[in-house]
Amino acid sequence: MTHRYIKIAVTVVVLALAFGFMMWSTLRDGAEYYKHVDEFVAEQQALQGKTLRLEGYVVPGSIRNLPNTMQYRFKIQNNPIRSGDPGNVLDISYSGTVPDTFKGEAQVVLPGKLSSDGFHPNPNGMIAKCPSKYEAAGSAPPGAAHPAGS
Amino acid sequence: MANLGTFLLLTSFVLCAYAAVVSVAGARRGSRRLIESGIGASYLVCALMTAASAVIVNAFMTDDFSIRYIAHESESAQPLVYKFTAYWGGLDGSILFWVFLLSVFASIAIYVNKERHRELIPYVVATISTVEMFFLYLMVVHKNPFSTSVVAAPADGTGLNPLLQNYWMAIHPPSLYTGFVGMTIPFAFGIAALITGHLDDSWLRAVRRWTMFSWLFLSFGLMLGMIWAYETLNWGGYWGWDPVENAALIPWFTATAFLHSVMVQERRNMLRVWNVTLVILTFFLTVFGTFLTRSGVVQSVHAFGDDPVLARLFTAFMVSILVFSFGMVIYRLPLLRARAPELDSWVSREGAFLVNNWILLFCAFFVAFATMFPTLSEAVTKTRITVAAGFYNKWMLPIGLILLFLTGLGPLLAWRKSSLANLRDQFLWPVLGLVVTVAGLFAFGLREWASLTCFALCAFVTVTILQEFWRGARVRRKNTGTDLLTALIGLVARNKRRYGGYIVHVGIVCIFLGFAGNAYKRDETKVLEKGQSMTVGAYTLRNDQVKIFEEDVKQSIVAYVSVFKRGQQIDTLYPSKSAYRKHPNDPPRTDAAIRRRPGEDLYLVMTSLEPGTQAITLNVVVNPLVNWVWLGFGILAFGTGIALLPESTFTFAMAKLPVEAATTTTVILLALLLTGFARTASAQHVEKPGSISEPTTALEQQMRNEIGCTCGSCAHEPLSKCTCSQAAEMRQDLRAEIEAGKGHDAIVASLIEKYGGQQFLVAPVDKGFNRLAWLFPYLLGGVGVVGVGFVALRWSRHGQAAPAEAAPVDPELNERLDDELRNLD
Repeated sequence: MTHRYIKIAVTVVVLALAFGFMMWSTLRDGAEYYKHVDEFVAEQQALQGKTLRLEGYVVPGSIRNLPNTMQYRFKIQNNPIRSGDPGNVLDISYSGTVPDTFKGEAQVVLPGKLSSDGFHPNPNGMIAKCPSKYEAAGSAPPGAAHPAGS
Repeated sequence: MANLGTFLLLTSFVLCAYAAVVSVAGARRGSRRLIESGIGASYLVCALMTAASAVIVNAFMTDDFSIRYIAHESESAQPLVYKFTAYWGGLDGSILFWVFLLSVFASIAIYVNKERHRELIPYVVATISTVEMFFLYLMVVHKNPFSTSVVAAPADGTGLNPLLQNYWMAIHPPSLYTGFVGMTIPFAFGIAALITGHLDDSWLRAVRRWTMFSWLFLSFGLMLGMIWAYETLNWGGYWGWDPVENAALIPWFTATAFLHSVMVQERRNMLRVWNVTLVILTFFLTVFGTFLTRSGVVQSVHAFGDDPVLARLFTAFMVSILVFSFGMVIYRLPLLRARAPELDSWVSREGAFLVNNWILLFCAFFVAFATMFPTLSEAVTKTRITVAAGFYNKWMLPIGLILLFLTGLGPLLAWRKSSLANLRDQFLWPVLGLVVTVAGLFAFGLREWASLTCFALCAFVTVTILQEFWRGARVRRKNTGTDLLTALIGLVARNKRRYGGYIVHVGIVCIFLGFAGNAYKRDETKVLEKGQSMTVGAYTLRNDQVKIFEEDVKQSIVAYVSVFKRGQQIDTLYPSKSAYRKHPNDPPRTDAAIRRRPGEDLYLVMTSLEPGTQAITLNVVVNPLVNWVWLGFGILAFGTGIALLPESTFTFAMAKLPVEAATTTTVILLALLLTGFARTASAQHVEKPGSISEPTTALEQQMRNEIGCTCGSCAHEPLSKCTCSQAAEMRQDLRAEIEAGKGHDAIVASLIEKYGGQQFLVAPVDKGFNRLAWLFPYLLGGVGVVGVGFVALRWSRHGQAAPAEAAPVDPELNERLDDELRNLD
């Protein structure tokens, strides 16, 4: 009987190790830090070279779009616009499609990568959070553009 | 009306508590009356919940905006059908809908199994009532759909979100809920079996259909959600690994695992602990899924309601489920483990099932883990780390391929142990199919390893299933002497679950084809000025013009996009944006234009536009094989439907009818038309165990119905039904007698002589003393009627007599009463 238990234990340990290793290696590529603007500014050094999702609120009136292109420049701030205190503000330059909900005050999430020359959002990656009453058993957000190709 | 609704909820809560207590007490004391009372109470809960649903639907229909839920989910201008579906549009209503469905399912399950599983029923009632109590409690204390506004009622409601006003969305939640709620029934039977210790197959038999039924609706709900996402969310895909999607997928995995492993227990009496664990897990995961989407624990791009109270209540409930259920499993471990045989060999069907189960369970845990990962990482490291869709895909792609492989492998392996010769015989054609497909696709220029593997495995599974059908039908044709098509239908009819399951697998193959096509998806976005074109794959798209349409409810901006293929214009598509007048602050709704073809979809989204220059930003997605996913779900539903059909449905193709029956002739004609091969009648009538040969004459058929099997293990079934070897022998005897030219009475006489009595007859001969046996039921019925009449008479007489005795007529009193009445006037 003890022999059998040893066999089982070895199998479990081997499986767990293999699984853990695979999990660890895939998580390294797959994981993305989720940061608000304030956290992003504070931890900028530590986040160098990392994949992350940056969340913030679009500053009203800051959106600039070159006509007939998909190039956008805008500012995002840490706190909701109506809270009075903006927190840190970041300049973003983004290229790609934008969801219908993208306008001043909108809460947006930008997946991208931070390198030494700044934050680069993924093209077509913008996701707009919808603060509406949407809570029914649905499967995805209204008007939110999913990252292309995901 | 709102008060009535709240009152109904409170009463249901009290009744559920009563049902739970009284059932357990009844079971422990062995009191039939208490148990019956509990059953009655749960029927009553069903009636009350139906009334509560009627109240809320009525409130929606009559625009009763004093109820907050109505004001939140509806508006007076909302189309009638969406007023109805708004019932389950929000959180509060969906919980009400949940309890309503559960009470209906519970009533059906209890009614059907009341006699058959008498020992389990009280605990089934108690378990279901406890679950209902939790959800009723949620409503009563926290999320009452009938709560009214404290201030004056608003003049109009805010209306259902326009995105939810879609026909898929109208039926997606009820389908998903039906699946979720249906899983409570197997759980209740499992718990009842654990408590009572009746851990044989009987509880499994009671829940088999429920699990299949719930699984079907769960699958269907998932598909509806996917179609909805594809049509309305404008990103060209249907699955984004969003927590809400995952919440429905996780219990689907465990339910699928259970549907497979239950066969191993029925067949080999193995995996008893495993099965009961899967049932508990599936139920737990349906509650967990509801918790995920409703409590705001997991952040998603959805604006979930952030609701810590709900989160705490749900956590308490889930912990109780786990502790109680697994406590019971541990308590019953000795009983569950008793007499369970060991696995003979891994190269066997049960071995394949076991691997399939582990992988499905792993899928469930992996998806749950990844869904919870941001929350877990925040709790442990204080930093929120999310995982993107790519992470899921990296894991689920190989796992999905292994599962697909097992789908093909399982049917090829024999139970217990497959011999080498057996393997060679079984694997030849499927492997050949696989190799040919790979070679063909490779020659065609396909190099993507994942898709190549997927296509190859699809071929492998398809050939396996075809081989199963072909071999089974051929054997059956030989045995029954019918044509191949009738034999095929008869084959499916004789083992509906097995062949229904194979059809489900065909559906799965189609779905995987669709997934494999995803690797060849093209996605491009470009700004197109008026008259400009862009090329994506084989398509060239030209922005012809942009027009603005003013309508009553909305203003639409429509782009006219011409589609060219090889220089020829093949179509014009109209991607659009519409601004709804009722929702001036909401962003416009973007509608994708989809050109659907079996080979590939062309999916156009106008993401933005410059009204002045008529320039549009056009997102073009080419989705190969996407429609195969929907087709696959259709086949899957068809297969499950066959497995679910009641026994009597297929009688036309079963052995009872002569070959000349009209249906068969039609089928033959059809077969002739389709394939041109003629029916080859076989005169051979050798029976294989488990099948029944066709009777050749009317007399034989009649007598088969009269003579019962004498093996002693079956329920004295007539020869036309019993499939045991004794019955087969008796059928051969009967045929020999008939072929010898004997008549009905002569055969009966010789059989009486052979068996030394009439016990072989299903019904005694209608003669002499035996007439008494015929008379007996009628006598009993007559006595019953007389008895009921007598008791009714006695009771009514008693009722009449009592007041007469109590109030003897007193003339004086009468006069006084008359006087007083006169004075009153």
